Amino acid sequence: MKSINQLVSKKPWLGWVLFLGTMVVVFLMGLLASTIVERRAEAVFAYTPKVEFEEWEPRHEIWGKNFPREYESWLLTSDTTYASKHMGSVTIDVLEKDPRLVVLWAGYAFSLDYKQSRGHYYAIHDIYHTLRTGAPVDGEVSTQPNTCWTCKGPDVPRMMKELGGAKEFYSGTWETLGHQIVNPIGCADCHDAQNMNLIITRPALIEAYENMNMDILKVTHQDMRSLACAQCHVEYYFDKKKYEGVSYLTLPWHKGKTMEDMEAYYDEIGFTDWVHGISKAPMLKAQHPDYELFTKGVHYDRGLSCADCHIPFKNEGGVKYSSHHAVSPLKYAHQTCQVCHREDTEELIADVYERQDNVNESRMILEDLLVQAHVEAGFAWDNGATEVQMDKSLKLIRAAQWRWDFVAASHGSSFHAPLECLRILSQGIDKAHQARYELNTLLHSLGVAGKVVYPDISTKEKAQKYIGLDMNKLRADKQKFLDVVVPDWAKQAEARQSQWKVKNI
Amino acid sequence: MKIVPRIKNLIQFFFPPQAWKVPVILMLGFFTGLFVFLFYISRAPSYLSDEPSTCVNCHIMTPQYATWSHSSHREWTNCNDCHVPQDNFFRHYWFKANDGLRHATIFALRKEPQVIFIHKAGKNVVQENCIRCHSELFFNDKMDRYTMSGHEYRREKRCVDCHREVPHGTVYGLSAVPEAKGVPLPQSPVPAWLNSIMNKNK
Repeated sequence: MKSINQLVSKKPWLGWVLFLGTMVVVFLMGLLASTIVERRAEAVFAYTPKVEFEEWEPRHEIWGKNFPREYESWLLTSDTTYASKHMGSVTIDVLEKDPRLVVLWAGYAFSLDYKQSRGHYYAIHDIYHTLRTGAPVDGEVSTQPNTCWTCKGPDVPRMMKELGGAKEFYSGTWETLGHQIVNPIGCADCHDAQNMNLIITRPALIEAYENMNMDILKVTHQDMRSLACAQCHVEYYFDKKKYEGVSYLTLPWHKGKTMEDMEAYYDEIGFTDWVHGISKAPMLKAQHPDYELFTKGVHYDRGLSCADCHIPFKNEGGVKYSSHHAVSPLKYAHQTCQVCHREDTEELIADVYERQDNVNESRMILEDLLVQAHVEAGFAWDNGATEVQMDKSLKLIRAAQWRWDFVAASHGSSFHAPLECLRILSQGIDKAHQARYELNTLLHSLGVAGKVVYPDISTKEKAQKYIGLDMNKLRADKQKFLDVVVPDWAKQAEARQSQWKVKNI
Repeated sequence: MKIVPRIKNLIQFFFPPQAWKVPVILMLGFFTGLFVFLFYISRAPSYLSDEPSTCVNCHIMTPQYATWSHSSHREWTNCNDCHVPQDNFFRHYWFKANDGLRHATIFALRKEPQVIFIHKAGKNVVQENCIRCHSELFFNDKMDRYTMSGHEYRREKRCVDCHREVPHGTVYGLSAVPEAKGVPLPQSPVPAWLNSIMNKNK
């Protein structure tokens, strides 16, 4: 047998193979060794701040320099690709999907435009674009007060401090603070800049606790992980009696947080959000009672908070942090549901959909009944019914739609508390039937022979035409507002923010 | 041809010529040194032992270690007692090598999920090992026999289907035990004498 040297001298390419092969092996071994060292270093982590900023700093990118993981996960709320069976973070034109809502909200701004809410990232963008805020151009004022900014971002606590209080902030129409509120919902809304503790920055929740004779400073950390969200994800109304000309943001929790408690409070103070355009019923608009309904569910009973599923803990190379990509937990079932549940992802998601489908089924029944009741009430007015005669049925319509809206307006409640939702909807169905019975009896006693004509509301356009809206004008005005006013607000904000100093460490 | 000269020939084949001897020795030393370093830094020998601290060489298993070390099973078992077959030597190391290499691969590729699920093969082994120690639970003292239901309980349902919290608790996930104390995460691979020399030079 020849020696390897002889072989190589006979076939020189063999020498190259040996040379290159050895090189690759050594290289790979070096890589392997260095990754082992690097990965071991991940187990040790020290918080090293990069910048120092003021307590009221509203810009997320500044906080993000110190908290890159939290900031980057927050940025993911800009993603609009995830769609679950019923919701998700895609844009859904709810009125287009379900034109019956246009009739239910006739005479109220929600009949103009109502879209499924997207991620926190879009809070400011979407309030510019919704037709509900109107088009305050050329000296015109918005139909909404500054109170509508309250849940839109960390510029709000900053301005409340600058203006001297909540009352001053809530005064005036919506466009007057437009140039100040430019950063969407994020860091400073829930965190103390000194120590990153969770804090309540919105006075309405603090006052609601006072109204219930409770102290919001005496709650546990786990409570705070829900209450931080409850600053905004709750039912509220504008109290216009507290101060002259001020729409004072108030949570109706004086008697309690259930649907009945809040209704009793509204009835007692004689509150009405608007008078219905067709039935003339004194309506209530439920905003999003997400927190209230969550506390009626089994996950709350077992001690969970909003953040456990919506801002879940994640581990990245040995570093534990909270993913601030607040979104449907179904998107990340493996880091939300499965932290406790050992079942397969598909099985868990199917369970959620089953609850949502069932609640939705009952909601649709009530929705149909409400459209009919409103139209029939309008028909009774047309045939000479008097206010006294209508009183009972209109109150029933108010109660029935409040129940429908309480479930429909809350995000995720059909999963958070399906039993409570079905209980509320079944009451609503009963009240709607009672209202229709009263109206029928009334029509009969009035001797009305004709039949009620139900409108064609198969599309959003048809429904909006039926309730008498001129959508083209509204949209043109809005476009002008977006072209003229919004860029000016952005310019003012940039000039202001460029003055603020951030200290590099 | 006889066998001994044949082997001699084969060895001869790999021998370098006289002139190459020194560089080849140096190269061999280089590779051996690198290999030993790799062996040391990855704590390779520890994988042959049953020490639970081995299982937190990479930090992924920290929650499993912490929950086990606060459970009653800590007094009697280590990780391998439940998670590796104990019936014979070959199966024991074959399973351990398989599982270990899979874990190492997933860790190196950063493919670890936020919540770890046990694989089917692992489940079967855990079930075997539950029975290995708790066989008295299948035994009917009065009848002096294994119970009839033993078959059902052994094959159709697993112990942990009901005893779910044994021994790793109710909450899973890489972030489940942030405050865990006493988890022996690997210390710095740099020996103390080297550290003190480096610090002196500063």
